[in-house]
Parts: sequence; structure tokens; C-alpha cells
Amino acid sequence: MAAFSAVNDAHLEERIRALTQTARLADGRELPVLPFFFVQDLARALARSRTREKHPRGQAVAHVERVALALGVCPERYLRNHDAYSLVEQLRLLESGAALVGLGGLGGYVLELLARAGVGRVRAADGDEFVPTNLNRQLYATRRSLGGYKAAAAAARLRLVNPAVDFEPMAVYLEEADMLKFFQGAQLCLDALGGLADRAALLRQAGQAGLPVVTAGVAGASGFVATVLPGEKGPADYFGAGAGAEDSQGTPAPAVATAASLMAAEALSVLCGRGPRLAGKMLVFDLNQMSFETLTL
Amino acid sequence: MHITLKCFATLSRFSPPDAEAFPAALNETVADIVARLGIPEDELKLVFVNGVHAPLATPLADGDRVGLFPAVGGG
Repeated sequence: MAAFSAVNDAHLEERIRALTQTARLADGRELPVLPFFFVQDLARALARSRTREKHPRGQAVAHVERVALALGVCPERYLRNHDAYSLVEQLRLLESGAALVGLGGLGGYVLELLARAGVGRVRAADGDEFVPTNLNRQLYATRRSLGGYKAAAAAARLRLVNPAVDFEPMAVYLEEADMLKFFQGAQLCLDALGGLADRAALLRQAGQAGLPVVTAGVAGASGFVATVLPGEKGPADYFGAGAGAEDSQGTPAPAVATAASLMAAEALSVLCGRGPRLAGKMLVFDLNQMSFETLTL
Repeated sequence: MHITLKCFATLSRFSPPDAEAFPAALNETVADIVARLGIPEDELKLVFVNGVHAPLATPLADGDRVGLFPAVGGG
């Protein structure tokens, strides 16, 4: 994390206070807000004054946002989160880190939602390149990105969506031996793998690292989302490493995006400090029947 | 007595038309029902009775809700 000096911070706080405006919400409440373009200006000035340390712009933006939130001022980009996450929780999100395995169907949507929510650091691994069969559901699969690394497309997208996210993409298939290192700095692991072959290893290593794992799987119109705490069994431990129902039923976009949204909501609940809602449970849905049920594993 | 059956993903092809009120004999177990539906053992990975993970040998009572899962891992 970029270290900006206390002297600069005192000046920055002064500037933020001077530039803060009041947003009046529909219900009459008022919220101090730092407009988007002032965040950009302050970050630019910050980056200029620290050129010798070569802080990337995104880190400067993140720093301005964190200082504003600590002052009780909401950066405008997070204004519509104000009721879902308190300013204290929003600050926790900006200071949090997540490890995401897989940048395909689940991973693309999960990453998008974490980035927009302002999760501070995301490390993500996927050695895949986009192929035409990804186009039915994978957010970052486009005509242009076909043939390119999913990790590269994700990085390009994050620069557009929220440069304040310290994003570390890795275009590799994560080996079990490398997982502990991969988890460093993260409070949470997201299992967005496709297929069942590698999931048990991921649960094992996350357990070693003491990290909760938010996991999901989809087949046809149905899917599940679960949170596995260290030392506990997850769905993958029951499913085995063989073929899954998705091999015959496929992975259509609505089920994938539904599972990914639930994963993101659960991850944000953990990262903002509220704790998991699905620990030891398995939320299952069937979009053909429009049924949702939370089961105890 | 009757139970409610919910067969997920690929197991939905074994779901009977009367899944909402499926006739079961007193003390019939989940395994009995699974056999009656013709679900291959290796396709069934998780069983839930009344929303809680349960073994195949669980005896059923009137009104029980049974959920049956294959392996699901798409992403």
C-alpha cells in the first residue's frame, strides 16, 4: 500500500474539507460528499508531489478516497452505496483484500462487482484465453478479447471501471503449491473456478491459510453459493473431482450472473466486517422455477 | 403419507410429476425413494431433508422436504 506522508495528509484533509459538498437524499438526510472530479484532481496533485516514488495514479485515488472516508466524507463514486455500506464499512472495503481464482463466467462478474464496490486489493489468477464458447456468459469475453488472456482483459476493464483497485492479474493456472503465496494479503478467497477438478485443492489450501472461501457452481438454470470456513467441508468435498452436471446442462448467463452476484454480496459482507451469511450453508437456486433456498450443509 | 421432492440440475429428469406430494410409506428412507426414482447412486452427491444435509439412511416422515443434488461445478 502506498505510504503518503502525514504532512501531506494534513494538507489533503484540509483540501477535502474545503471541497466537500452536501448531498441531500430523497428521504431528507444529508450526506457529506467529495465530488468525483475533486477526487481526481486531489489524486493528480498527490501523484505529482510524489513523482520520485512513482505512485501509480490509482493508488493516489485510493488514498484520497480513504482519507475522505476517514473524515466521514463519501467519495461521490460510492454515494449510491451509502445505505448498503456505512462510511466505516466502505472504508473497510477500500482497505480489504480478496484472492480470486478464475476469471471466466463467475470470476468476471465477481471482479466487476468487487471493483465497483471499492474493494482495495484483488489478486486474480486464470491461465485461460477467451474462446467463442465463453461469449454466452463471460463479462469480459468480447469479439475483441477473443484469443487473448482473460487476466489481461480483466486488467484493462478494471482500469476503466475503478483504477483505485490495486489489481494484480496473473495469467497462470494456479498450482496447489503456489496457493498460499497467492492468498497473502487477502482476507477472503473467491472460488470462481469452472469444473470440479481443482476445487478441493483450493479449499484445502485456503483452510491452511485460515481464509474463508466463497464458492459457487452452476449447471443449466440452477446453481449454488456457499461459504466454507477453514477446517469445514464445502460442497466440492461432496461433489468429487469428476464430471459435473454443467457438462450436459451447460452454463447459461442468467444462472452464472446470479451465482456471481450472490458470491459478491457474500464477499462484501465479509470484507466490510459483518462476517459471512452463508458459512456452513449452501444457497441453492433454480431459475426455471424461480426458487431460492438456503440449506444447512 | 406424502413428501416434497426437489431434484436439482441433471437429477430433474428423475423428478416425478407428483414431486410436490410424492407418496411415501412410513419409515421409508431417502435411499428407498432414490431407488424408486431410478436415480443412479453415483449421480447423487448431496441429500437434504427439511433443509439440512442428511444421510441416505434418513427415515422420512409425512410432510418432509427432500432435496437431491448431483455434482455441480460450472462457472
